[in-house]
Amino acid sequence: MRSEQEVNRAVEEYSGMVRRLCMIHLKSYADTEDIFQTVFLKYVLSSVPFESEEHEKAWFIRVTINACKDLLKSFFHKRVISLDEILEKPEEIREEYREVWEAVLSLPPKYREVIYLHYYENYTAPEISRILGKKVNTIYTLLTRSRQMLREKLGGEEYE
Amino acid sequence: MNEKLREAFGQVQAGDGLKAKTKDYIAEKTRGYTRAGHIRYRHLAAALVCVAVFFIGGNWLYFTPTVEISIDINPSLELGVNRYNRIISFESYNDEGQELLDSLDIKFMDYSEAVNKIIEDEDVAALLSDDEIMTIAVVGTDSAQSEEIFAGMQTCIAGRNNMYCYYAHSDEVREAHEVGLSYGKYKAFLEVQALDPDITAGQIKDMSMREIRDLIDSLSDGAEGEADQAEEQPDNGKGYGQKGNGSGKGEKRRRGKTDGW
Repeated sequence: MRSEQEVNRAVEEYSGMVRRLCMIHLKSYADTEDIFQTVFLKYVLSSVPFESEEHEKAWFIRVTINACKDLLKSFFHKRVISLDEILEKPEEIREEYREVWEAVLSLPPKYREVIYLHYYENYTAPEISRILGKKVNTIYTLLTRSRQMLREKLGGEEYE
Repeated sequence: MNEKLREAFGQVQAGDGLKAKTKDYIAEKTRGYTRAGHIRYRHLAAALVCVAVFFIGGNWLYFTPTVEISIDINPSLELGVNRYNRIISFESYNDEGQELLDSLDIKFMDYSEAVNKIIEDEDVAALLSDDEIMTIAVVGTDSAQSEEIFAGMQTCIAGRNNMYCYYAHSDEVREAHEVGLSYGKYKAFLEVQALDPDITAGQIKDMSMREIRDLIDSLSDGAEGEADQAEEQPDNGKGYGQKGNGSGKGEKRRRGKTDGW
């Protein structure tokens, strides 16, 4: 079992990323709390030795995405919540970014993941392919398509 | 677009409340980071307890006799029947009984099959044709199962000679084993004792059921000055004993352990 210090460090370091991955996948804030508990409990109980910080980060991404998918698959969570509800989270998203978030969330989940990992976490397509267990070419395709879709939704030269 | 996306994603952060709640949850689940192993062991222990309860309970259910069938001629033996009508124990109360049990393989057999096997045993058949009496006592607690077994036994002896079947409540014959008698013989002993209080269990122990029956008849004769041997029932309890009513199998005498009776 990992120590309290390790867990506190991991919470401080990765909770932002876990929170954003939850935002990308989930429909309610209550579910986000569930995912936090699942992911960090798994971490504290896990005996996986991490070779590097990058390895640990990739583990968190993988575990969070899987936890989100598991939650969505369960019967009780198969309920529809509108986009407005998703964005009405405790932390306010500033008006100027709302449009971008809405555009991202309107894409299918597989596009949202790669966009986030590529644009925010700065992972390259080969790195994303390793983390998500998909082919590199698939990641390239997903990235290209998601860029196109975002341009269409957001429009204007600004997003070129 | 890159920058705009990055900024938009950057807007979403985990609040302090969420972090604190998560830390509290982890601390609680691991009992202050001391008992992670116990989380798994607790489930394992619970599972083991369930398995143990299942096996012990199953064993108890299967291996607890709910009805006893006491068979007495002079071989005197008792069969323990579980709630699934299987023979799970047997005990002999004299050497002849032990010999009979040794020659039969009736463990886990259905009770009616086992009793049939005993009745059809060569030695038993010889004894019966020798005018010995067989009594089958069903001892239970008035449960549906004891009634069913009693009915089964009545069917078993129907059409056979010199056989009696009766029912006794287990309270009635509770002391049987303390005085070294089988339930069936003890029931007959109670009958004898009612007529002559001086007779002891030790005297009855080695007597055959025919001898006990004759003793009862002679004591009744002495006491009441009359006898009705033909319709005598060895049962003085619930009054629903039944006499076998078939034809005899001949008078051929056999030699061996029945000599001297």
